[in-house]
Amino acid sequence: MTKACEKKIENVVLKNVRVWDGAKFVQKDAIAIANGYEVEPDYFTKNPAELDGEVDCAGAMVMPALFALGVDFREPLRDDIYTAKDGIKAMRKGGFYGALYESSANPVDDSEKLAALENRLAGQNMKFAVLGAYSVEFGSDRLAEMLELAEGNEDLDVKGVAGFGDGNASIPHNRFIRLAMEYGKMTGKRFFFQPMDKTLRKSGCVHEGAYSDMMGMKGIPRIAETIAAYTVLENARFLQVPVHFKQVTCGETLDLIRDARKKGIDVTCDVDMYHLLFDDSVLTSTDSAFHLLPPLRAAADREALLKGLEDGTINAISVNHTPVLRQDKQVNFEDSVPGAVSLEVALPALWKLLSERFGEAKTIELLSTAPAKIAGVTADEKLMNIVVLADKPHTVAESDFAGHVCNSPLVGTELSTTIVGSYIGGVWTNA
Amino acid sequence: MSALQIKHLFGLQGVSKQDIRTILDNAKQFREILERPVKKVPSLRGLTVVNLFFENSTRTRTSFELAEKRLSADTVNFTTASSSVKKGETLVDTLRNIESMKIDIVVVRHKGTGVPKFLAEHSNAIVVNAGDGAHEHPTQGLLDMLTIEEKLGSLEGKKVAIIGDIRHSRVARSNIWGMTTMGAHVTLCGPSTLVPRNTELLQYPELAGSVSWETDVKKAVADADAVIALRLQNERMDDALLPSTREYRNFFGITDEVLACCKDKVIIMHPGPINRGVELDSDIADGEHSVILDQVTNGVAVRMAVLYLLAGGRAND
Repeated sequence: MTKACEKKIENVVLKNVRVWDGAKFVQKDAIAIANGYEVEPDYFTKNPAELDGEVDCAGAMVMPALFALGVDFREPLRDDIYTAKDGIKAMRKGGFYGALYESSANPVDDSEKLAALENRLAGQNMKFAVLGAYSVEFGSDRLAEMLELAEGNEDLDVKGVAGFGDGNASIPHNRFIRLAMEYGKMTGKRFFFQPMDKTLRKSGCVHEGAYSDMMGMKGIPRIAETIAAYTVLENARFLQVPVHFKQVTCGETLDLIRDARKKGIDVTCDVDMYHLLFDDSVLTSTDSAFHLLPPLRAAADREALLKGLEDGTINAISVNHTPVLRQDKQVNFEDSVPGAVSLEVALPALWKLLSERFGEAKTIELLSTAPAKIAGVTADEKLMNIVVLADKPHTVAESDFAGHVCNSPLVGTELSTTIVGSYIGGVWTNA
Repeated sequence: MSALQIKHLFGLQGVSKQDIRTILDNAKQFREILERPVKKVPSLRGLTVVNLFFENSTRTRTSFELAEKRLSADTVNFTTASSSVKKGETLVDTLRNIESMKIDIVVVRHKGTGVPKFLAEHSNAIVVNAGDGAHEHPTQGLLDMLTIEEKLGSLEGKKVAIIGDIRHSRVARSNIWGMTTMGAHVTLCGPSTLVPRNTELLQYPELAGSVSWETDVKKAVADADAVIALRLQNERMDDALLPSTREYRNFFGITDEVLACCKDKVIIMHPGPINRGVELDSDIADGEHSVILDQVTNGVAVRMAVLYLLAGGRAND
């Protein structure tokens, strides 16, 4: 493959590729891209001065770029951990053209904060949708200015939020959820929750089951999720408000969602990519890289999640990209900060598992169009936003990750596919 | 270097029957040495052991220190109360600093599960777990096994009842793994809020048929050869797990009434410290069935054996 030059590659020829045509991969000698759009194969023969570079993809797959759910780059309050610049670099490396962004540390509870966030995310030709907070500072008993957040503010030049979220804080008390959803209903926006009852979670850090019992670690029972989910669903039914569950973890929650849909409740959900790859048996390693929130659950739950994707109960896959400083992971499991980064490795980690089980079309849908739909983002179909994936093994290294974090449980693991690069927002990036 | 299949002692889960046998056999020899007028042997002369205790401990730390001194090792005690950990130093930095002083063996106690393994991954020293959270306390498990063998012969086919706060007990977990490996059957008994849920635990195929559950203490002890009463670990309980110590004592304490349901030659054990009148009545703790002080003596012998064998069993060279 051609080594990347320092200069920005905007006009590029990708040689020897298999291109996704919407139903299958089709072998092509080359595709030519200029200024963000595919051009005729002989375009650069006629205009050689415009060509910035060529990449021999050695038969790699070219598919639509991906859309990320569960993204928080920690700016501005924790830019010591990660920045928007790091996050956008990670998105390009991993082949993501857009993301649903929710700031957990700095709740977007007014237009000024929304404007500041949009400003940080702007200028990269990436597609970001933002979740606003439904409460001031998450967890307070004060409603955020949801009407203005949804509508946008012309004076501040901000567009509206895609929905309202909880910043992965535990579900607050029932009356406040009811009031927030009742008020927010006027916006027509979806409410996003990570279902977790804080009293049942308490100080738990892993799935409550055989492994937590024998490792002597405090567990988070499945009912911490199902009870919180049921509370939200009952409010959604009563108030007729659309809801979304972030990172569901267990089969029982999927049963609640199936039942809710039968009752006509508008509910969508996603699953954390790492919950499709691992179960709580990894706890015996006591490796803090596996300290995730929500926690990895039992093998039966992992299988239920895969079935949930298969039958459509789960709408999309979330990356739940959570940067954690090295020193906050270099401690014993229970004292470590939960979370994992995932943007750079999501596609190569999931491709074989999902494409063999569900087929290539559904796999692309689960990582690209389906999450974008949840975020209310529509991709410009003519614009070339693509990721190139090779059937070539790759061992995940710390240096694969953007910024100065590398908190992925996949570090050191050999994946069966490798990202060659991506063309997103008019720029080619070698992975 | 190790004379065992294991290089460190993190816990008894996964430790082979052969390794446990070797440790217990060596401990029996050290037990004899402890009865001699001169109790010191030169086995670890020239080696330095640091006792890294991040949690309070009196008997375990003293037992380890005594074992190290009986083996002629140089020992250093490190406790958080007097350390730079109080000043914000990370676990890894603490270990690396200590390791830079050229230590050979680390004995560690910490509130977090997996800390001994974590330290072994970040250092070249031999690591011995002296208790990690509610996970394991392998030397306590070994000394319990040594005591049972000493009093009752082989562990094979023996029935052991563990009564009490199993959820928070690292001793119980080490005993479950170690004793079932050696062929004993373990019955767990305690209030349902303090006992692991049996359906989940059965996922471990190694334990199938070797561990059972009972909520009636009289039934639990009825066919037991050894009864181990566990301390209520109030310091680890951050919930309403029990209504009162009174009710606990009445339903799960080892009382005369419960002892009357036991076999005639049953032995009563406790890892200490005892809450007298709660998990164990005083007259039973001090009575003819009690082997609690033998456990303490065996603790030194077992720890000598573990340190000696992990260091390579040099005395045999």
